[in-house]
Amino acid sequence: MASTACFIIVSRNDIPIYEAEVGSAVKKEDAAHQHQFILHAALDIVQDLAWTTSAMFLKAVDRFNDLVVSVYVTAGHILHIFKLFYTLTFLLFSQRGQSHKSTYKRSSFFVSLTAHIIHTRLMLLHDSRNDDGIKSFFQEVHELYIKVYYCILSTVLHLDAYLILLNPLYLPGSRITSSHFDTKVRALARKYL
Amino acid sequence: MANFLAQFQTIKNACDHLIIAVEDVSDLWPVVKNGFEERLPFKGASLNNKTRNPVFVEKLPAEFILTTDSRLRSRFPQEQLLFWFREPYATVVLVTCEDLDEFKTILKPRLKLIVQNDEREWFIVFISRANPNNDQATKLAKKVYAKLEVDFSSKKRERCCKLDLHGPEANFWEDLESKIVESIRNTLDRRAQFYEDEIRKLSEQRFMPIWNFCNFFILKESLAFMFEMAHLQEDSLREYDELELCYLETVNMTGKQRDFGGVDHGDDQAALLKPGNKPLSQIVQDDSFREFEFRQYLFACQSKLLFKLNRPFEVASRGYSFIISFSKALALHEHMLPFSMREVWVITACLALINTTVSHYNGLVAPDVEKEFYRVQGDLYSLSRIKFMRLAYLIGYGTDIERSPVNSAALSMLPWPKPAVWPSVPPDASSEVLAKEKASLALCQITMNNHKQNVDHVNLIWSDIISKTQTILQANPRVKHFSIQRKPLPLEPSVLLREANRRRASLSAGNMLEMFDIRPSFTDGSSLDASLKMSPSNKVHVSSMSRTNSSPVNFDSSIDRPMRLSEIHVAAEHALQLTITDPDLWKFLSSVQEFEQKYLELTKGAADNYHRSWWKRHGVVLDGEIAAVCYRHGNFDLAAKSYEKVCALYSGEGWQDLLADVLPNLAECQKILDDQAGYLSSCVRLLSLDKGLFLTKERQAFQTEVVRLAHSEMKHPVPLDVSSLITFSGNPGPPLELCDGDPGTLSVTVWSGFPDDITLESLSLTLIATYSADEGVKAIRSFTATILKSGRNTITLAIPPQKPGSYVLGVLTGQIGHLRFRSHSFSKGGPADTDDFMSYEKPTRPILKVFKPRPLVDLAAAISSALLMNEPQWVGLIVTPINYSLKGAVLHIDTGPGLKIEDSHVFEMESYTNVLQSTAHTENSDDARKGGSAITEEYKQLTLEDGKIELPDWASNITSVLWFPVRAIDNRLSRGTSSGLNIAFNLCCSSETETVAVHFTDPFHVSTRVTDKCNDGTLLLQVILHSQVKATLTIYDAWLDLQAGFVHIEEGDGRPTSSFFPLVISPASRAGILFGIRLGTATAGDEAEALHPDSVLNIRYGISGDRTIGAHTPVAAESTGYVDDKKDLIFRSAVVLQRPVLDPFLAVGFLPLPSGGLRVGQLVSMRWRVERLKDFEENAVSHNDEVLYEVNANPENWMIAGRKRGHVSFSTKQGSRIVISIICVPLVAGYVRPPQFGLPNVDEANISCNPAGPHLVCVLPPTLSSSFCIPA
Repeated sequence: MASTACFIIVSRNDIPIYEAEVGSAVKKEDAAHQHQFILHAALDIVQDLAWTTSAMFLKAVDRFNDLVVSVYVTAGHILHIFKLFYTLTFLLFSQRGQSHKSTYKRSSFFVSLTAHIIHTRLMLLHDSRNDDGIKSFFQEVHELYIKVYYCILSTVLHLDAYLILLNPLYLPGSRITSSHFDTKVRALARKYL
Repeated sequence: MANFLAQFQTIKNACDHLIIAVEDVSDLWPVVKNGFEERLPFKGASLNNKTRNPVFVEKLPAEFILTTDSRLRSRFPQEQLLFWFREPYATVVLVTCEDLDEFKTILKPRLKLIVQNDEREWFIVFISRANPNNDQATKLAKKVYAKLEVDFSSKKRERCCKLDLHGPEANFWEDLESKIVESIRNTLDRRAQFYEDEIRKLSEQRFMPIWNFCNFFILKESLAFMFEMAHLQEDSLREYDELELCYLETVNMTGKQRDFGGVDHGDDQAALLKPGNKPLSQIVQDDSFREFEFRQYLFACQSKLLFKLNRPFEVASRGYSFIISFSKALALHEHMLPFSMREVWVITACLALINTTVSHYNGLVAPDVEKEFYRVQGDLYSLSRIKFMRLAYLIGYGTDIERSPVNSAALSMLPWPKPAVWPSVPPDASSEVLAKEKASLALCQITMNNHKQNVDHVNLIWSDIISKTQTILQANPRVKHFSIQRKPLPLEPSVLLREANRRRASLSAGNMLEMFDIRPSFTDGSSLDASLKMSPSNKVHVSSMSRTNSSPVNFDSSIDRPMRLSEIHVAAEHALQLTITDPDLWKFLSSVQEFEQKYLELTKGAADNYHRSWWKRHGVVLDGEIAAVCYRHGNFDLAAKSYEKVCALYSGEGWQDLLADVLPNLAECQKILDDQAGYLSSCVRLLSLDKGLFLTKERQAFQTEVVRLAHSEMKHPVPLDVSSLITFSGNPGPPLELCDGDPGTLSVTVWSGFPDDITLESLSLTLIATYSADEGVKAIRSFTATILKSGRNTITLAIPPQKPGSYVLGVLTGQIGHLRFRSHSFSKGGPADTDDFMSYEKPTRPILKVFKPRPLVDLAAAISSALLMNEPQWVGLIVTPINYSLKGAVLHIDTGPGLKIEDSHVFEMESYTNVLQSTAHTENSDDARKGGSAITEEYKQLTLEDGKIELPDWASNITSVLWFPVRAIDNRLSRGTSSGLNIAFNLCCSSETETVAVHFTDPFHVSTRVTDKCNDGTLLLQVILHSQVKATLTIYDAWLDLQAGFVHIEEGDGRPTSSFFPLVISPASRAGILFGIRLGTATAGDEAEALHPDSVLNIRYGISGDRTIGAHTPVAAESTGYVDDKKDLIFRSAVVLQRPVLDPFLAVGFLPLPSGGLRVGQLVSMRWRVERLKDFEENAVSHNDEVLYEVNANPENWMIAGRKRGHVSFSTKQGSRIVISIICVPLVAGYVRPPQFGLPNVDEANISCNPAGPHLVCVLPPTLSSSFCIPA
């Protein structure tokens, strides 16, 4: 496990919506401040880099002496998620025998919803060089993050089976305050970093 | 070959262009020299690059040198091979000849000799000096040239060209140029091939022990240089790149450790752009070169080529990564280098790179390259800035370095210099140490005073002072505004004191502990005295004294004594002075002022370049650093501007931790500048940051500032936006619903982000109408002072009447002191997530709905069936509020014509549910009312005032019934019809008029008929009484007042047998009464007839009903008389009686005619029978026993024989009859009217069956007379 690792999720409009110090090192009071600063400055680089590559995982975009910033840009998943929602709604309403009209209505709602997912950045400041581990970490956290949206979906569709894990009233762009999410992220950090 | 290095470099420096040899066979060069050199440099030369692809060189410089020139002659063959690149690339042979024989015998052999060397690329220029006018000479020259071409040119290659000195030879120069270029190209190819072969050979031996890098280098660089001369810079650059790769590969090979270099004087100044900084022969070592110099040399060569290629951006970006990697190399060898050599080198390298690239940069590049260029510039500035700060920190300028996140992040992760031995204090520097220490102590005292309130106890122990001094020496002593206590961010990767002392050879970790812990505690004296006693000048001596010494290491030697911070600074300063050879750079470190100037310059450079490259975050952060310097120098205006930028960035992107760091600085600037508006908004922003970022005490300080300013006399009062601090929302649940024109009360939840209660002098809230553009914004106000406590508050506001529509909350405005504030933001139900939603459109929930005017109340009659006419009756009015409160409503009652409200009587009001209940289980409504509902609170007696009734409060929301007595006045006698009358009501609040119809009727519907007419003239009059009310009627008496002409039989009073009464008639049932009457004398007189035109039926009855149903016992005018008011009611109804119209006493009958029928001319007897039906007892008929008859017939139809008119005697006894017969003869055939029989003296009314007889009879034609028939 990395001794220093600061993980931040930055939303579409550059607002940090989740942050956690997941390193094993004893947390210094001032470190968090610095880590925030470094990650914030790295947004400058990400903004340039994100358009030059189709990869979601940007390795080591910035270096700060011994610390490295790795970034995972969640841009490519818009379509995927949209499809998922769409098929799900269709399936559901056809089962319930509701009219197609209402189905379209709902699905248009999801289009607007997924638009919020564009370009969320998962940023990790770390001192280890375990690229594969970091990539896996990012992927799993991303999955977890998407589940936030599943939960929105589930509340909208009254899909009780999905009503789990995270705060179902999560609104895109707001801070993630779920303790479940936090616990999971930290567990993933222990596993991969 | 290494021996040739010096020579190689000299040669390289001497020639920078290609050489073309001129073999001047016929001494013609002086003649054509100018013409030839005018062609230089060659334009548009097409050469081949290393991969044999054609490359177009725009300008190819070259030089013509005669073969006889010393430069070409004095060369050794070995050198020629090694430095082949400087040999001529083409040989031009200049010849002339005017005689064929001469050519054959002399010139040709000579030329053959010259061109026999295959190595050279040659061609012959034949120069004709023949005058064009001289035909002979011209022809001859042509011949010679033709011969020359035959001899030297081949089909493959033209090797000859001809120049006419006196003739126009336009093509010649192009020809010449192309030939030269062709030669150069061929030579270049051949030589490149040669070098490549050589290099390949050497490369193959690369990992053998005998391998010599110098040889490889010379070959490689020769090739590179050749390409460079030929202006094939790309290829040249590639060679250098390969050379660098190869070098880096070999230099790190184990087992071949060489000197690193960099220990010479001046090496601290980076030479990465100066290829000629040091001769190569100086840096060669064994079979290779020293890394320090050689890598810089290679980079310099590369950058030179890149500049030639006009790619300064690439120089910068390659340079940056070179500096980074070279810095790492320096770090590896730091123990051998002078103190802080690495930092100094990086600074000089960055600055050199910046200066050179910027001067070469012309901006004619693609936008993205430009962006990148500035970004690299920014990086370079930033890097040099960090290293510069590090040096300054070592010297002791740390107090002047802002402890911001950017500086802290840069410096606290940057390792200290790692010299083999940390420099120690020079022997003569004690005065400097003293000076530094004094300065720091002065600072310390200032800080002490500043902190006096915090640190009260006088008995400060020494270690405290020491540690404070140390902090002071490193930390910015500035106390943050609002007395924010935050641990200053570190600027050191580890404590300098520890690091410096550890790096000194003889100290061990044990002493380190001692350094921090063994300071003796002075608990007995004043702390300041103690600290002064331990002033540095003393301590130098103290240190040599024996002290409490728990360490096994001997302290006697002063050099082994741990250094104090000031000593470390002084030592570092001296060491740096030795390291830095650039006087300019040293100047910037010589004083704090100079340092600050350079620091500012570097920071500005970095910030500007980052801004140009659109890296706003990097740029803005550095702006903040500039602001800090400005602030220190009292330039608050500039500082505030820059801080504002930083704050805008952080708050815009929601990085609150970082914002919390810089916002207090901005606030302080604004306070000093007296920018009250800005200061206030900063305070508000501070308050609206995450609560965890500041202590409660600090937050309270912010609030105090806001309140203080708000209550002070502001020059320019400004509205303050507190959207992030005070948020509001409507209460959950359905919106408040009002009707047009009604006031109401709105309850709003307001969240206050202030840490303490705050008093708002006034508060108002705007309501925005949705879906209507024309409606502006309505403000509702509460003028009373409101105290908002921290967190959730509920505030109620009175709403004046609004126009119809749906309203959402708009803006919250109010006043704190003299300060107007406004808030735009809704809270989602909690203050926790206020900021994050700012960018999302809020779903605006209507908070108030004002409806169009609508019926607010439903008025209906409570009774369903008719009431008694002419009696005071309770009329019930159901008042039902329709989703609306009737509080304070007033009911106007107007009666229609014919109705009278008994306003002397009290009105009654009760809940409708009570009414329903009472009707459900009681029969007698009077009792129920008296007993049950009168007690309940929802019952009230009211009085009418001016036609108005004020409704009681309890009736404002429930359905209630208002009972009031009304009498319908109708003086007409009932004739079996019913009458309906209207009541009109007005309600004041909505000016609503509703008409309620109430039905009034008589108790009975009366129908009469004569059931029998007896022979004696008695008539049986049946009176049928049909109950018209839903109440039980009890008839006590009934009598008939007869009109004239009728009398009761037996002279009675017309009452039926009294034993029938009382007669009870259930609702909707019928009863009948028989009266016996007979016709009286018709001559009673006119007066009596006028008095009693009709007979009148009088019925005395009682009624028992429920007012909730319909007719009931009439309301007593006086409530006291109610109980014994048992007087019966009288119902009167007119009955019209008529004397009989017909009174026949004679009957006339037509007796049947004979069966044979009537024939014309045939006699027939018509007979009528007259019968007396009655006795003539009166003298109605004057002739008692005679009857006058008369028969009328149409004389055209009938001929009558007998008396048409005459008297016959007729007995007056009843039943007597006579038959009158008349003989008649019909005159015409057909249907004719028979003769009519009449009795002229008898009134027609007294004749029955009149007219008698048929209307028409059939008369047949006369029978045929046989006498007229003659047989044929």
